[in-house]
Amino acid sequence: MVQIKKKKERDAKIPDAGMSDIVFLLLLFFLVSTTIDVDTGIGLSLPEYIPIEEQTFVPLSKDRLAALNINENGDVLLDGEIIAIPQISETLRPRIESKIDLPSTKKLVVSVKTDRKTNYNLYIQALDQIKFAYAEVQATYAQQAYGKKMLDLTPEELNVVKKEKVPIIISIAEPEKVK
Amino acid sequence: MTFNKKRASVKQEIPTASMPDIIFMLLLFFMVATTLREVDVYVQYKLPEAVAIEKIENKRLISYIWVGKDGRIQLNDGIVKLEEIQEIMYKKRVELPNVIVSLRIDKESDMGVVTDIQQALRKADARRINYSAMLKQ
Repeated sequence: MVQIKKKKERDAKIPDAGMSDIVFLLLLFFLVSTTIDVDTGIGLSLPEYIPIEEQTFVPLSKDRLAALNINENGDVLLDGEIIAIPQISETLRPRIESKIDLPSTKKLVVSVKTDRKTNYNLYIQALDQIKFAYAEVQATYAQQAYGKKMLDLTPEELNVVKKEKVPIIISIAEPEKVK
Repeated sequence: MTFNKKRASVKQEIPTASMPDIIFMLLLFFMVATTLREVDVYVQYKLPEAVAIEKIENKRLISYIWVGKDGRIQLNDGIVKLEEIQEIMYKKRVELPNVIVSLRIDKESDMGVVTDIQQALRKADARRINYSAMLKQ
């Protein structure tokens, strides 16, 4: 009897060593082609639109109001006095701090008013200074009251700091009619 | 006397079979975490720089308005006129009640156009805005 030699069984395996290389390529493609652009900026809530006829005049005591005016030449006035933009936060900070324990109807209101020809960058710089002053006061308060940094506060504590004690009230002045 | 080093009889190989799995996970993470830019920006702009800036956490809520060097305004994927902003934003606001409008305005712009856009947004009741700015180094 002729013995039929059994064919040696071939190794039936898909080589998977190069698999990771392929996936690496895919990964690299996605890494390069996508951009993680984080949106950063200065947040603000605009006031509700009320037609001129229905607008009412609400008197604000001088003590509560910090009026910031920026004209088209880039001159900045804080409550009628000329001020350099980098000094705004320092000037505002004690005023915000002095009102921490007052009720919300007595907190400082920062009003920003610009000309139509004012440079946008200046406006942002001024707004940045105001926000910075508030952020510093909030951080100091958090440190004093809770002994924590802003980031470590619990949501309730954060609410107290941000809503009750040091709320950021920035008022964008109603634009004047163009003559 | 000779010393014979004892060698383990086990194969010395790092199993690489699950390597692709790990990398697939990385891949999936990047695919999910990154959003492809879906709109072409037609205006040229340079953002202002600021220090006290915050991140917008929820990207899905953002709607962008660009204002270029030349004062052209882009909303969504096309250049729009100032008068059209109110209507478009109102529709958007109906779809997405807590929309955040990110204003990407060239830093050399005048406040006039900014004020006009803000007035339009107020009329459209899309009042949460964000002046896009880069972190000052």
